[in-house]
Amino acid sequence: MVRKHTRRAAKAAFAISFGVALLIGVIATASAGAAKATTKPTIVLGTKNFTEEYILGQLYGQALHAKGFKVVYKGSFGSSELADTAIRSGKMNFYPEYTGIIALDLAQTPSSHETFPKTATATYNYAKKYEEKHHLTLLNRTPFVDADTITMLRATATEDGVKTISDIKKLGSFNYAGYPECQTRITCYAGLQSIYKLDNLQFTSLSSISVYTLLDQHSIDGGDGFTTDPQQKSKKYTTLVDNKHIFGWENVAPVLSKKLLKGSNGTLLETTCNKVSKLLTVGAMRAMDKAAYAQEGTPKQIAHAFLKANHLVK
Amino acid sequence: MSGLFLAKGGPVIPSFGKPDPCIKHQHWFCTSWVQKHWGDILQPALIQHIELSLLAVGIGFGIAFVMALIGFRFRVLDAPLGAFGDFLYALPSLSLFVILLPITGLTWTTIEIPLVAYTLFILYRNTISGLKAVPAEVLESARGMGLTRMQTFLRVELRLAVPTIIAGLRIATVSTISIGTIAAFLVADGLGKPIFDALEAPDIFKTELVAASALVVGLALVADGLLLLLQRALTPWGRIR
Amino acid sequence: MIASVFINAFRFIPDHASLLFHKGVGTVELAFAALGLAVALALPLGLWLGHKHRGLFLALALSNFGRALPSIVLIGFAILIFRFSLFGDCLVALVVIAIPPILTNSFFAVDGVDPDVVEAARGMGMKEAQILVRIELPLGLPLIVAGLRIAAVFVIATATIAGIVGGGGLGDIIANTPAYGDAGVLGASYCVAALALVTAGALSLLQRAAFRRMSPTT
Repeated sequence: MVRKHTRRAAKAAFAISFGVALLIGVIATASAGAAKATTKPTIVLGTKNFTEEYILGQLYGQALHAKGFKVVYKGSFGSSELADTAIRSGKMNFYPEYTGIIALDLAQTPSSHETFPKTATATYNYAKKYEEKHHLTLLNRTPFVDADTITMLRATATEDGVKTISDIKKLGSFNYAGYPECQTRITCYAGLQSIYKLDNLQFTSLSSISVYTLLDQHSIDGGDGFTTDPQQKSKKYTTLVDNKHIFGWENVAPVLSKKLLKGSNGTLLETTCNKVSKLLTVGAMRAMDKAAYAQEGTPKQIAHAFLKANHLVK
Repeated sequence: MSGLFLAKGGPVIPSFGKPDPCIKHQHWFCTSWVQKHWGDILQPALIQHIELSLLAVGIGFGIAFVMALIGFRFRVLDAPLGAFGDFLYALPSLSLFVILLPITGLTWTTIEIPLVAYTLFILYRNTISGLKAVPAEVLESARGMGLTRMQTFLRVELRLAVPTIIAGLRIATVSTISIGTIAAFLVADGLGKPIFDALEAPDIFKTELVAASALVVGLALVADGLLLLLQRALTPWGRIR
Repeated sequence: MIASVFINAFRFIPDHASLLFHKGVGTVELAFAALGLAVALALPLGLWLGHKHRGLFLALALSNFGRALPSIVLIGFAILIFRFSLFGDCLVALVVIAIPPILTNSFFAVDGVDPDVVEAARGMGMKEAQILVRIELPLGLPLIVAGLRIAAVFVIATATIAGIVGGGGLGDIIANTPAYGDAGVLGASYCVAALALVTAGALSLLQRAAFRRMSPTT
């Protein structure tokens, strides 16, 4: 009698332990699998609030999403200064920025023009050093550069006989218009004053109107057009040569939190972004900016079409 | 249209779509653009603008009404509020939005505080002047008929003040709808957003500007009209003139 | 932190006195030119319509419509249609803003004059123009000046919007937090408010003087 019970009890005990062990094994594998899947970091991606940045944000964001990363788009920032504050405070952990602005305006490291970085690489390295002070870093930079300019109506420039920025000294007065941050940036108006020593210059701050609109109306002499603006290709406008290179080397590089680069997911993130950056030539960026201006699609659609054609998304 | 084009060993640049003819030709009003973007640009902006305005006028009226009751009863609020109101209106609306930004951030609160402040002063003034304008004889006769203070207030003073109050509401509503467009300079919501987008385009985008402006003015006129109808409904005696 | 911005704003004003003065002149030029033009256009029209007791609907509708038009929209259309200099475009927009209160108030000022007085004057053989100038205008002056005061405050405050399209004046500072900081924006705003209040105050004195002139000693 006792033996029969004992045997049944032993069988039951064995079955139960086996079941429990199996259950534990299954849960362990599942959670390990789940844990592995959740270690891909969420990318909180921000951009500044103009079209080219929207397109860049979508390019990186969509490429990363295609590789399994979760991407949250976190609003648009009105200036580099605001974006820098946001990423340093953790409000976002990824955004595309122009290297010259980081090196010369945010970092303000080189105190005299003589020590300004003179090449794109030097600018990139300065920028990277700055970001690394704040637990951030830069990935590879794009081939294209999008810098400030002094854009004028070609007719006016010819009439006034100005070809380089230094030529402005010859003129009586020169009304230069740009976005508000330009006024205090060494890569913009402040540089024109202190490095070119142009004292006949006047700055008109424009928040809500395009320099091209005002140039067309002859309301200003020169405007801060950007080198990848679709309007730059038009014969109507010309840019003055920046013989002292104050407008800097403005390649784009993703600024991101160092934490995102940890482990195998970090490597995947890095290679994906670098693949995207490599494709962004001046021609490609100009084409995309032009498409956005002509409303051939939204920044999201344009980025998607570009990535798809280059096999980075389906 | 160019199809795919390969930049010598560089990236493939696809054709992105057809350029919008409205941008190309810059007509004052391309019906096609408006139809195409009604759903994704114009209608959401309109709805946001309605929400923003209703919030501002609603909150402003609520506070103003309570303040007017206090001010009417105790008569102490008039002078300081009057002075503050003058100062408020002398400040540019843009200033208020810009100054609040670092405090309340890129939120609707930043938009609402100045708008509520503006409506508050208009409505306070109008409500109080409406209440004060009730002739003494009318109050006397009400008292004579045996109405209590509260009854007199509710049935006589308040009702007679309605036209002035609604006049104030009309002004406040129209102003709010108009000033609300400026908020988009900082917080990109409401009908101000398409207006600013249109202005900032390399050639001011006429159709978007015209469409969004028409919506703002239309909204204001409709709101004004509705309030006028409300006034007529509430004061049927007013028509016998 | 918030209090410090307010305090720094007060410090900004003497620290940047010449900048603020220079910009202030810009605002004054724009605003007063607009007011002047608006008075030249709207005052005679309003007076005449009021005298004729015609165009009540126009006066009211204009005032409603004017309030509904956002200033930024007016500037946008002025830039598109007129293509003057930036100053000129902003001027046009501000004139359009200033006209409704001036027109409406001058209409009601004259329209509301005691009809008996007007009849008496007519009976004495005065011509219509004489009645308007010698009787109705003086009697309506307080209300006219009140309208001017409203327009002045409105135009001076709105002139700052020009700053976002490069129109100059104190608006340049207010729309430019990056260059001048919050303290600068607030400081410039104080200056605009001061400008508006001083102008309103001056017109208020004018209004009271007008009141006194038409009191029964004449």
